[in-house]
Amino acid sequence: MRGRTFLSRGRALPVLVWAVSLLALWELVSWYLLEARHVPLAQSKLPYVHEIVRTMGDYAPTLLKEGRVTFGNAALGFLLGAAAGAALAVLMSASKRIEQLAFPYAIASQMIPILGLAPIIYGIVRDEKLSRILISGYITFFPVALNMLRGLRSVQPSALELMHSYAAKPWSVYWKLRFPASLPGLFGGLKIAAPLSVTGAILVELMGAQHGIGVIMLRNLYYGSSHAYMFWATVIVGALLGVLSYWIISLLERAVSPWQPDFRAKGGAR
Amino acid sequence: MTMTATTVQEIQLEQVSMRYRTDASEVLALQQVSLNIGRGEFVSLLGPSGCGKTTLLRIMADLLQPSEGSVTVAGKSAREARLAQKYGIVFQSPVLYDWRKVKTNITLPLELMGVKKADRERKAAELLELVGLEKFRDKYPWQLSGGMQQRVAIARALAMEPEILLMDEPFSALDEFSRERLNEELLSIWSKVGSTVVFVTHSIPEAVFLSDRVFVLSPHPGRLSAVVEIPLPRPRTQEMRNGPEFFGLIAKIRDSFEGV
Repeated sequence: MRGRTFLSRGRALPVLVWAVSLLALWELVSWYLLEARHVPLAQSKLPYVHEIVRTMGDYAPTLLKEGRVTFGNAALGFLLGAAAGAALAVLMSASKRIEQLAFPYAIASQMIPILGLAPIIYGIVRDEKLSRILISGYITFFPVALNMLRGLRSVQPSALELMHSYAAKPWSVYWKLRFPASLPGLFGGLKIAAPLSVTGAILVELMGAQHGIGVIMLRNLYYGSSHAYMFWATVIVGALLGVLSYWIISLLERAVSPWQPDFRAKGGAR
Repeated sequence: MTMTATTVQEIQLEQVSMRYRTDASEVLALQQVSLNIGRGEFVSLLGPSGCGKTTLLRIMADLLQPSEGSVTVAGKSAREARLAQKYGIVFQSPVLYDWRKVKTNITLPLELMGVKKADRERKAAELLELVGLEKFRDKYPWQLSGGMQQRVAIARALAMEPEILLMDEPFSALDEFSRERLNEELLSIWSKVGSTVVFVTHSIPEAVFLSDRVFVLSPHPGRLSAVVEIPLPRPRTQEMRNGPEFFGLIAKIRDSFEGV
């Protein structure tokens, strides 16, 4: 763990410098548009950072409440989609036939625009919560299935021969070899899917829901320039929810598969 | 140990041939190989690439089915021997599982056999001591050198206390120094466990240093061209590598290759 704290300490400073300069630049351009050039609707185009932050502070309870609704539904959908994706990956890895049968449909499913699918699903289930969950799951499903299948297939022939030489049962081969070997792929898929599932949930909310960050986002967009700060605040909260989801998956990955090449200390211990 | 009339037969190959079919032609990888290996004997399968030595080992291990001929292991078929867990195999690369630490890599075969955790722990400690890796029990494979990884693979192969240890060029990826040291370590381990060892190599000195007998294989088609007894006393020491007897045996084996 010594290597990790060293690494994060070494990384923290440049990141901080970057963030501060970026925010300063934003603030400067915002001022320029508003005060120097007198651009119409300047604060809708690039509002002051400090005003957004203040609005976020003022409306923190609302933003938190609506954000929690979005995140909770997205998380549930994400879990269901991930489970379904992983299950399909296992089936496809076990049988070439199932793969040939299921794979074209899995790809075709990704061709349907979510923007069109969301109202269809909402029209069918007539429940904003359930639609959010379904869309988040739908988005999660494919990257997880694809990446986990690749992981399951990544096993070296010699690693399988070793199992064979010990007369291992098919179940043991999966449990002790294929599953662990698929973890890097699985987490790769989960990391792609997690922020997307949040975006998907927000999209459903834009179709006309009662709760969720997407709802207040849309509402403040309609209210116009007087609500520019609040609109930007909701966009930022939406982005933060995506970042949070990615961050949770990354933490989980480190806990579950600390042996991955990505986590090895630089230079190794040889 | 030399072959005598009283030696118990462990592995018998009779007229084993192996053909690979490609689109255009047929390749004869092994042509009618017959050999006997006694229980507790250390033998090498020696030859240049393309002589079928690895194929022969894989046939013994039941990882390949011969096109013709029969394999008998302790009176059974190779398949029955494999299912009865009589084999410990060491591959050319260590084939350690990345997600397992040294200790659990070693006890993998015991887990597969349903051995209790306490017994696995005890066996792991014993094996780690045997291969001299006690300090590395909680390291991941990538934290070890190539030679250490191969020692872990040997420990894992020994975990089931196999009757037969099959080794497919286990040290070929290592430098000459590590290789000679591991040769000596392997003999010391073997003297403690007493399994039958079949060792595939393309190095003549390695085969001479380790073996009771060397099966010399020649390529195109792969066939058994000579069986050379190695009468060097045991335990074998590094000094023996410089003796005239050692060089004499190397010359004898070199002369026995056909059509290389």
